[in-house]
Amino acid sequence: MVNRRMLALALAALALGGSALAQDYPAKPVTLIVPWPAGGSTDVAMRAIAEAASKHLGQPIVVDNKAGGSGTVGPATMAATGKPDGYTIAQIPITVFRLPLMQKTTWDPLKDFTYIVHLTGYTFGITSNAESQFKTWNDVVEYAKANPGKVTYATPGAGTSLHIGMEQIAAKAGIKLTHVPFKGGAETNAAVLGGHTTLQADSSGWKPLVEAGKLRLLAIWTANRSKNWPDTPTLKELGYGFVFDSPFGIAGPKGMDPKVVAKLHDALKKAIDDPAVQEQLAKYDMVVNYKNTEEYRKFVAESVETEKKVLSDLGLAKTN
Amino acid sequence: MDILASVAQGLGVALQPVNLLACFIGVFIGTLVGVLPGIGPVSAMSLLLPVTLAGTPEAGIIMMAGIYYGSMYGGSTTSILVNIPGEAASVVTCLDGHEMAKQGRAGAALGIAALGSFFAGTFAIVALMLIAPTLARWAVAFGPAEYFSLMVLGLVVLTFLTQGSMAKALLMACVGAVLGLIGLDSITAQPRLTFDRLELYDGIGLVPVVMGLFGIAEVLHNLERPIAREVIKTKLSQLWPNRAEWRASAAPVARGTVLGFFLGILPGGGAVISSFASYALEKRLSKTPERFGRGAIEGVAGPEAANNAAAGGAFIPLMTLGIPPNVVMALLLGAFIIHGLQPGPLLMSQNPTLFWGIVASMYVGNAMLLVLNLPLVGMWAQLLRLPYNVLFPLIVLFSIVGVYCSSNNVFDVYVMVAFGILGYLMRKVGYEPAPLVLAFVLGPMLENNLRKAMILSQGDLSTFLTRPISATCLVFAAALLLAPLLPALRRKRAVVALDETA
Repeated sequence: MVNRRMLALALAALALGGSALAQDYPAKPVTLIVPWPAGGSTDVAMRAIAEAASKHLGQPIVVDNKAGGSGTVGPATMAATGKPDGYTIAQIPITVFRLPLMQKTTWDPLKDFTYIVHLTGYTFGITSNAESQFKTWNDVVEYAKANPGKVTYATPGAGTSLHIGMEQIAAKAGIKLTHVPFKGGAETNAAVLGGHTTLQADSSGWKPLVEAGKLRLLAIWTANRSKNWPDTPTLKELGYGFVFDSPFGIAGPKGMDPKVVAKLHDALKKAIDDPAVQEQLAKYDMVVNYKNTEEYRKFVAESVETEKKVLSDLGLAKTN
Repeated sequence: MDILASVAQGLGVALQPVNLLACFIGVFIGTLVGVLPGIGPVSAMSLLLPVTLAGTPEAGIIMMAGIYYGSMYGGSTTSILVNIPGEAASVVTCLDGHEMAKQGRAGAALGIAALGSFFAGTFAIVALMLIAPTLARWAVAFGPAEYFSLMVLGLVVLTFLTQGSMAKALLMACVGAVLGLIGLDSITAQPRLTFDRLELYDGIGLVPVVMGLFGIAEVLHNLERPIAREVIKTKLSQLWPNRAEWRASAAPVARGTVLGFFLGILPGGGAVISSFASYALEKRLSKTPERFGRGAIEGVAGPEAANNAAAGGAFIPLMTLGIPPNVVMALLLGAFIIHGLQPGPLLMSQNPTLFWGIVASMYVGNAMLLVLNLPLVGMWAQLLRLPYNVLFPLIVLFSIVGVYCSSNNVFDVYVMVAFGILGYLMRKVGYEPAPLVLAFVLGPMLENNLRKAMILSQGDLSTFLTRPISATCLVFAAALLLAPLLPALRRKRAVVALDETA
């Protein structure tokens, strides 16, 4: 009888949840939703981070690939159906902030998530086929001025930073380019390699093809030149003044216990400080871009404001 | 000579005991996941990826690759025995394979599938060794316009799959194409046909649709007539294909292999199209097309060879360009990268031992699969002796577990049940599920490529005719559609029609 009463008490404590549970967190594996296909640059980076963070958390972090909607289907599903118990978290790409400004969506980036930690960002670049006439970015600009709309570029989807970035560059250069949205790096590589599009704008998945001399890297979107390609100019050097790195972090559903958030934050912070993880990230030219929970939350609010302005300037903002 | 030396070097790597063991574990697990419906190579490989990190890159990748082509082997088993295709590529195997099983020739169907697969797999590896670098160009030659025309050809060929009315087949294909559009539109990420249901944002999964339409519908249908079962019991003695069946299968296997290999190289729906293109080709070439859909062994041999050759072809864009043509290959790409290797044009020159070791291990793995699978044929065929009241609950159980495992989503189980009921009703009124499933897979690709092609050509439709590969596909498609109308060909058509009205 005593045992049964104890059990009832324990269950009551569980039902109360919150702080009582946070003490024991984590008691089971944590699911990390990665909203991109398996094998892409994000997936590989997230797996490396998850593995390292598991050690510090004391429970495995299982990666679940839920790709679609330019990386928003995973977080949107979590926001709608996930419990804020710390056992379901997701990678949050910048499209989560951007898409609600462009069209009707099921989530609000400012209300529906508990932001945990900001981790890193991508290295983006523009490539052309090595056999094409375009040897530098200025070749592209000159050709596009003479042939408006003829230059096509492949990106991993509408509304991605690549799409928005290329449109901003084109607007500043006074040229008109044609956007062709694909689903991910594998497809954009094939498109520019087969000569179906003039250019490719994507994260560093083009690396092996550039190294093999099949693609030519025309411009890189980071603040400084990359160690891997010291000869490729940045957008700043080309006179555009832009830096695009599409930074990303981790969030859970809204209403998470701050103690659980702190535990996850600490484990993930230790993971990105791990030299082995940084080495994995370096393969894709990703650099650690740490922000703590508070800074991340502020950053989201700022990002939404910046995006709003950019999108309305480009005429891509939602009209209603 | 260079190549022979490389192959010898590769065999040296593949035959090291640890790699042999990795290869065996891989193909063994592959066979298992191939046989279990719903649990595909993707889930098995993602679960095992961390395990492979402990060993050398060679052992890890050899094992992962083994799971992939092993599952291609196993996939035909459930199609033939219980009419559940493990994936889109084995939908076609159900048509004649399950018919054969019903007639007591399950052993023959399984045997020819295993041997056809072995032949095709081996051919694909040899071709991979000899001409991989040259073929890489062919993989990227297909742009949006070419894919669009290939899908058009695919949809036209699809109507040859049916043994009933062509109008009904086309109707089913339309339904399938519409179902395929559910979810976020792949170009602008706008929700379509989702009715604001979050579960539908990602579209309907292929696994629950296929398992419902084939597996569950088959169970429901059979519950109506328990006596038909007796047939299988009495004729089970014949476990191997007989001489006539061997002879009939040789040419389809050869044709299916070549077709599958070339279509498999294409990123995207190559493997799926190859299997039913092979079926349609055999039906068209056959002197007795009316046997198709009623247990023709050519209808099993050709497509099975085609989808295994396609699995081999799929390694070409990954190994030579670093471009994964499907999800499984994307996972394999992930495995390469986690091991610190970058597949791509430089892999062959920078890591020759690894490259040739993997290729050689695939050869070894294929031989292992044959040894592993042939003795099992008898055992699988015995499975059909299970009484209905044991077998059916098992099928339903495995279907539910399989569907749930593939997505961890209860909604998918509901989808499967709904499609099971739909499939049952379709059977009652003579509509076949195969065109629906294939259009479901091809429809979104058709739309996506059409839109990309139109963006690229700035709305100029002539792009489909001025690009040679695209034009060739369209000419073939037109010829197939118009051929029945030409008087000279009417006689041939009469034979086909016979089969349709029968």
